[in-house]
Amino acid sequence: MSKSAGRRSLLCPRCDAPIDVSASTKSVPCPGCHRNIRTEDEVVNDYQARVEYYNEGHVEVAKKGIIIAEVRVRNLTIKGEVKGPVRARESVQIAKGGRLYGDVVAPTLSVEEGAVLVGRVEVGPKRAAPLDSPALDAVPQAG
Amino acid sequence: MPPMPPGGSETVLGADVTFKGECAYEGAMRIEGKFDGKITSKGRLAIGKTAHVSGEVTVGLVNVEGVFKGNVASSEKIELAASAQMTGDVRAPKLVVAEGATLVGNVVVSPDALKGAGSVERDAILSGHAPQPAPAVRR
Repeated sequence: MSKSAGRRSLLCPRCDAPIDVSASTKSVPCPGCHRNIRTEDEVVNDYQARVEYYNEGHVEVAKKGIIIAEVRVRNLTIKGEVKGPVRARESVQIAKGGRLYGDVVAPTLSVEEGAVLVGRVEVGPKRAAPLDSPALDAVPQAG
Repeated sequence: MPPMPPGGSETVLGADVTFKGECAYEGAMRIEGKFDGKITSKGRLAIGKTAHVSGEVTVGLVNVEGVFKGNVASSEKIELAASAQMTGDVRAPKLVVAEGATLVGNVVVSPDALKGAGSVERDAILSGHAPQPAPAVRR
């Protein structure tokens, strides 16, 4: 997420359309697909089962937080539990005690000692996490 | 490469070595050349920056800085340095991936990864037989 003079450049998690928004913007409609994009950093403390969990900000799943969804975010820190395919534009960090059950596509991955990761992983500097990545085909059976 | 234990010895396959076959050792081993085959040990394995390793590896602790293609099962920890390029399945209780490393494959990292519980859980999740949550809400 590039920030300059209070602005930042984002990509739509659905259609990859580029968007330039204010640094304080919490959500913005995508000019490409006309869907709403959340851009606010978020801490998940509760149970959230959804079809999709998209946020172009930093998402932290706290110790008591559980996300069951297809997750597309910029940065993801897992201290609780995530079930579903994850795509991050920058990084995925699984802290001690964190649990991730699902496929991961991200440029960088950090798995601390005591964390759990089960799934197919595609990690590397050239992994720009394209929308058609096979790792994202498996949408979780969330209800 | 993790520090050697006091008094420990290290077997080194140099950068100009090409090895095909099975290898078993105790203690530590460092590969800088090309290795194609099977490695079995309870000790440490270091895959250096110039190394190209392919095959099956079952060891205690693995440190990867070079290129590795194949499956790895570690009873302690797998460490991928920033220069590591790894393709294959990974099974270990602990995994450390440095920024810049490349890893493509199925990963099972959990305290009981080598007992097979992880794969059962993964299969259950991917086949949709895992305990299902409450109905999803689209927001």
